[in-house]
Amino acid sequence: MVTKEGSNLFQITRRGFLQQSTLAGLTIAGSLPSVSWAVRGHQLHIRNYFDISSLDPPFSLSGGDSFIQRAIFQNLLQFKTDGTWHTELDAAEYFEAIDDTHYAFRLKRGQMFSNGFGEMTADDVKFSFERIADPDLNAINAIDMGTLSHVEVHDRYSGTIVLTSAYAAFVPIAVAGYGILSRKALASVGGRFSTQPPCCSGPYLFREWQAKRKTVLERNPLWEGPEAAFAEIHIYAMTDAKAAEMAFEAGQLDCAEISVESVEPFQKNLPPDSFLEIYPSGRNYWLGMNQSNPALEDLRIRQAIQYAIDAESVVEATWFGLAEPSMGPVPRGMLGCRERTLIPAKGDADKARSLLKEAGVDLPLRLRLDVNSDALEMTAVQVIQWSLKKVGIEVDIHTQDSGTFLSLGQEAAGDQWQDIQLFFQSFLGAADPYYSLVWFISEQMGLWNWERFSNEEFDRLNGLAQAASDEAERSRMYQRMQDIMEESGCYRFISNGVMPQIIRNTIKPAFTPDGYGLLRGFRPVTQQS
Amino acid sequence: MLKFTVRRGLLALLILVLAVTLLFAMIHMMPGDPASVILGPKASPELKAELNQRMGLDKPLLVQLGSFYADLARGDLGLDVFSDREVSEIVFEQLPYTIVLVLAAIGGATLLGIPLGCFSAIKRNSLLDRVTAVMSVAFIAIPSFVVALYLLLWLAVKWRWFPAMGAGASGDIVDQARHLVLPAIALGLGWVGYIARLVRATMLEVMEENHIRTARAFGLPERTIIVHYALRIAILPTVTILGLGIGTMLSGALFAEIVFSRPGIGKLLHEAVVTRNYPVVMGSVLVTTTFFVLSTLISDIINAALDPRLRESGKSS
Repeated sequence: MVTKEGSNLFQITRRGFLQQSTLAGLTIAGSLPSVSWAVRGHQLHIRNYFDISSLDPPFSLSGGDSFIQRAIFQNLLQFKTDGTWHTELDAAEYFEAIDDTHYAFRLKRGQMFSNGFGEMTADDVKFSFERIADPDLNAINAIDMGTLSHVEVHDRYSGTIVLTSAYAAFVPIAVAGYGILSRKALASVGGRFSTQPPCCSGPYLFREWQAKRKTVLERNPLWEGPEAAFAEIHIYAMTDAKAAEMAFEAGQLDCAEISVESVEPFQKNLPPDSFLEIYPSGRNYWLGMNQSNPALEDLRIRQAIQYAIDAESVVEATWFGLAEPSMGPVPRGMLGCRERTLIPAKGDADKARSLLKEAGVDLPLRLRLDVNSDALEMTAVQVIQWSLKKVGIEVDIHTQDSGTFLSLGQEAAGDQWQDIQLFFQSFLGAADPYYSLVWFISEQMGLWNWERFSNEEFDRLNGLAQAASDEAERSRMYQRMQDIMEESGCYRFISNGVMPQIIRNTIKPAFTPDGYGLLRGFRPVTQQS
Repeated sequence: MLKFTVRRGLLALLILVLAVTLLFAMIHMMPGDPASVILGPKASPELKAELNQRMGLDKPLLVQLGSFYADLARGDLGLDVFSDREVSEIVFEQLPYTIVLVLAAIGGATLLGIPLGCFSAIKRNSLLDRVTAVMSVAFIAIPSFVVALYLLLWLAVKWRWFPAMGAGASGDIVDQARHLVLPAIALGLGWVGYIARLVRATMLEVMEENHIRTARAFGLPERTIIVHYALRIAILPTVTILGLGIGTMLSGALFAEIVFSRPGIGKLLHEAVVTRNYPVVMGSVLVTTTFFVLSTLISDIINAALDPRLRESGKSS
């Protein structure tokens, strides 16, 4: 029962409340500048998948780090912004291979480090390279320095990089991959840093880092090269592609990598003033088979699985026709990519059945397939499951979180490496085929070679190809290595995937051939035209 | 009241120690090699061993737990092996974003839910009551992430009234408030319905009690009866629920932090678990558990302050 008095009390309050809340809502909404985020002056707002882990070259861990490093540090050489793996001079005005183990360089004069650390010298090059390889530093990226012995300094600007033995990947991986830092600047911070670089030398300066939010770069006034295109670059750490897509549609981003399944909706209904670019990815997706597992010891069974899998259908379902079936771990456009695979992309179900029959397998054969809990990879394994079912192989899919999945084949993590049978794996390559194949040598067994694949010829070719200076010969060796992998029955190569990007059409982007942004190459369209 | 607070405080401390110990064991029993996840394929066995040693993973679990509490007693949450930064610095950098989000969500839900519940109870079976009932159930039933997506689609993408991502510019409170609106609505909307239904139910019960009838018989104004006598008692279960709600929202904040690309402890914890970054996981878990236990403790104390009977019952328990 409610009295009249009570009723009046709450009627007044209710009205007041409704009036005030409506007014407040309208005020907030009205005060918002029907947001014109697209107009931001000379700023670029871009998504980065990862937040910074470390910008210190010896310790950087992810593509997110090198994305920023390439803009704020100078390397001796840098990748061209024409979508190839070709390099061009950066800090060096001259760079030449004298022989297989000696690279001469001469720096451009007048290249200044920020924060008053003076001009870049050959001694800084020596410091930067030798520091990464220094065993005392025990740096994660020391492996990328390969056979580096030391750097000889001839004068203030020139020197020679000396390797102990030929290492063909040295130029694309080390020389074009790692920035030059000031010896004095590093000394000023105790020899190491993580997210606050003590100095920069690229076209952009590091201004600030807000953890889990964004990194801001600004134009470097000391930069002697062509002026940086943007006054500021805001790089947002966004792991979720859908959130990035919304932010792009809301006008808060100028460029973002989007999910594969969003490409078609965007193609049909593209946000105004934007365009889509589909870049090939350098990631290698494959189905691995643990040949040490009793169920897969017989080569014919592994080959049957290779033939049973319809890679074309897997690619179509997973990448919506945007990607192509893979030629092997070495992606298209890179030295060493094969022109054909031994197993047809479509597979051959009849051949698979006859191989199983020949091996005397009692059907249905039940196998376990482990996969990382990634939507894309889970789609792929479901099509693989369907392909295998057609020849009488029943697959139980075991989805694992990435932390668990990544340790499945590692001997140091326990005995589970013995139990894994099939696994869907993906691995990101780098600017040289060496990086795509070195993980499958015998030494890697129990580390990253979960297939327990071991082949003498493969190991020998890996060593030879690392040392080969003739590109054609090197390419042939890498092609043969991929054939050997396929012949072993341990691998069914699926695809290299794609990296779709949505971009504001006021921006001219620049990417490496594997779809990673080269911030230095981004330009406003007006400037470019 | 002081004795009650001390008693509850000690109980809260015990709960905290038990919860953190249990979580420590569970986290460390998860399969997965942190060194492989953190360092990736380039890591040599020597590097992995060094990392495991730096994280203390080469020691037995009980020794690790002992070290954790010993360090904690010194106020040291350890070092993040990823970035070499203090875990406490990393965690407390992210915590304010989540606390502000949770308080905005629960605060907004309370400010809307309590009056709606009161109106519904007082105007029982009226149109307002029915509309409120339908809306409350709808708010509870719609998953928060669906709310978040539609808020994004309409208010950020289509009309561009609010930003779609981030937490606003540092030092700009208006910008930060604008960035807070959508995630707070997404996180708190379900609680509006929940609180409204709870307040309505308890109000209806309380309004039928003898002391309310007596108050009316004494001729007290209805406003006084409702605010000072009925609501004061009817709000007790809501205060308890709010204490729990803050804790629940701490974990629920993760989806808002991901969908709206906001920084926060939920996202930090999620990424740390995925990468098996144990020091950061433990630091985040400790802080969120403490926050949860504290919010429950505060709601108990508020309840006791509002209803002296609770203090008395506490003595006998």
